[in-house]
Amino acid sequence: MAEKVRSSGLRHRIAVAWAQDLNTVGSLNRAVSEGFAEAVMIGNREKIIKTCRETGADPGRFTIIEAGDEKKAASLAVDMTASGETDIVMKGLVGTDKFLKAVMDKEHGLLPAKAVMSYVCAVEIPAYHKLLFITDTAVIPFPDLAQKVAMAEYAIAMARRFGIEKPSVALIGASEKVSSHFPNTLDYSVMCKMAERGQISSCVMDGPVDLFLACDPESVRIKGIDTPLAGDADILLFPSLEACNPFYKGLMLFGKGELAGMICGTSRPVVLMSRSESELSKYYCVALACLMAMPKDMN
Amino acid sequence: MALKHLSELKDLLVDKPVRRMVLAAAQDHNSLVSTLKAAGDGFIEPILVGDKEAIQAIASELAMDLTGIRIIHEPDTEMSVEIAVKMVRSNQADILMKGKVGTSSLLKAVLNKEWGLRSGSLLSHFAYFEVPAYHKLIAVTDVAMNIAPSLHDKISIVNNSVACLNKLGIEMPKVAVLGAVEMVSENMQATLDAALLSKMNQRDQIKHCIIDGPLAFDNAISLESANHKGIRSDVAGDTDLLLMPDIEVGNVLYKSLVFFAHSEVAAVILGATAPIVLTSRSDSDQAKYYSILLAAATARTE
Repeated sequence: MAEKVRSSGLRHRIAVAWAQDLNTVGSLNRAVSEGFAEAVMIGNREKIIKTCRETGADPGRFTIIEAGDEKKAASLAVDMTASGETDIVMKGLVGTDKFLKAVMDKEHGLLPAKAVMSYVCAVEIPAYHKLLFITDTAVIPFPDLAQKVAMAEYAIAMARRFGIEKPSVALIGASEKVSSHFPNTLDYSVMCKMAERGQISSCVMDGPVDLFLACDPESVRIKGIDTPLAGDADILLFPSLEACNPFYKGLMLFGKGELAGMICGTSRPVVLMSRSESELSKYYCVALACLMAMPKDMN
Repeated sequence: MALKHLSELKDLLVDKPVRRMVLAAAQDHNSLVSTLKAAGDGFIEPILVGDKEAIQAIASELAMDLTGIRIIHEPDTEMSVEIAVKMVRSNQADILMKGKVGTSSLLKAVLNKEWGLRSGSLLSHFAYFEVPAYHKLIAVTDVAMNIAPSLHDKISIVNNSVACLNKLGIEMPKVAVLGAVEMVSENMQATLDAALLSKMNQRDQIKHCIIDGPLAFDNAISLESANHKGIRSDVAGDTDLLLMPDIEVGNVLYKSLVFFAHSEVAAVILGATAPIVLTSRSDSDQAKYYSILLAAATARTE
């Protein structure tokens, strides 16, 4: 992905809200020096310059704009992106709630009316033979049917950007059985039929399935379940944030994973990640946002 | 093997042991005619429970011979129903048929917890149509008993009907779950239930059949229409069983098949320990006769 973005020849302008933490500056420094990003750092000028020095970045590489507090920094970053001055907005050290409030602002924000906002991560893990796209690690606690459909669409759109024409979408549950005791399995059944009837973008969808059926061909063989996923899923859609979030953190912590994630549903790419994310993951998030900001015909 | 004509029910009964059918409150002009005809053709062995004098009077009026036919005299309607139900329960009869008694009284007896015919399943109505414009017989459920079945009810209704079709020799009946459209919409519960039933079928939670839905009526019965809409389906155009979203749709379809499409029909109540023939006065004699044959063809076989 990073290679694709680097070689595209495009340079994306990123507005960063309260850009004064080491990982954010470090990841942007790399993106800027690799030539695919320009960064507008919004926040306390002195602190930004100080942070740049600490990471060994030349502050002259960035445009720095003074903002009094983190709330103002967030709304300025969003405003610039909404007006087209910048292409991408990124969260720095500002609190997630303040940042998202600016993103979701009805007048000045980046969320079209009635759009579902969700989060998709691309995860690289040594134990799986390809990237896995997972959703939703961060935004919707208990998605309803319409939100799950939107989540699937965002993940499919992202997978397409990675060159996967017809991604396999696994709707993750605790087992493959449909049961009214597990309401998510009901939504999943409905989604499969929607995919079959062309109401969801082209994909191979099945669910409920457990993680083994989704990602392990051997389990599919042993269980004898007839699933088109065949243990080769590209996308895992989880029933709740509390299922998906520990899954990705487990992969980071115990599975030597790296991730790139972003907010979906907004009119422009929004980079938002946990403050504790590594510099490399943040760099990947920036690269992902640039990939998603590229014109579709460049893919 | 799919059947094309209701008259083929006769072929299914050849060389099979003759089923015993008990007619409750048998002093009924309508049901007696078809019962005696089916008996005369050798497909059932009737047992008439009811007012013996009234039964004999109807028989002589119809110029029908009651020689050799077992009659149990019980002038009280409610008692005659109880006797009939108990005979089925104690394996002295294989089929129950309604005579001159209200449907609700008969069903109340069938559902009696102590001596009724409960099997643990939901009772459902199964109608089997010979439609001149369709290439085989087509079953429709539920057009008469369950008013607004829940998902859970629909599972029972499908299971009842599939078991019945399996007994008629159709090993993997194709079940179309009807909606107004073939698309899934959160605003139409029938389409959501249809999607769920399809998935449960894929997961082997509903067996011995192939389910697809939602399908609009035209997609269900016409492959051309399904192709036109770009629907990929193993069921479309070759449906054996149409599952109705509710009784209003079912009842109107039933009646339009009879009145507009000149279809013949046979119907039974499923879900009890034995098939129940429950025809109404407005049914033709032919319909009643075929209903008895359908019950005989699907009755238990011990």
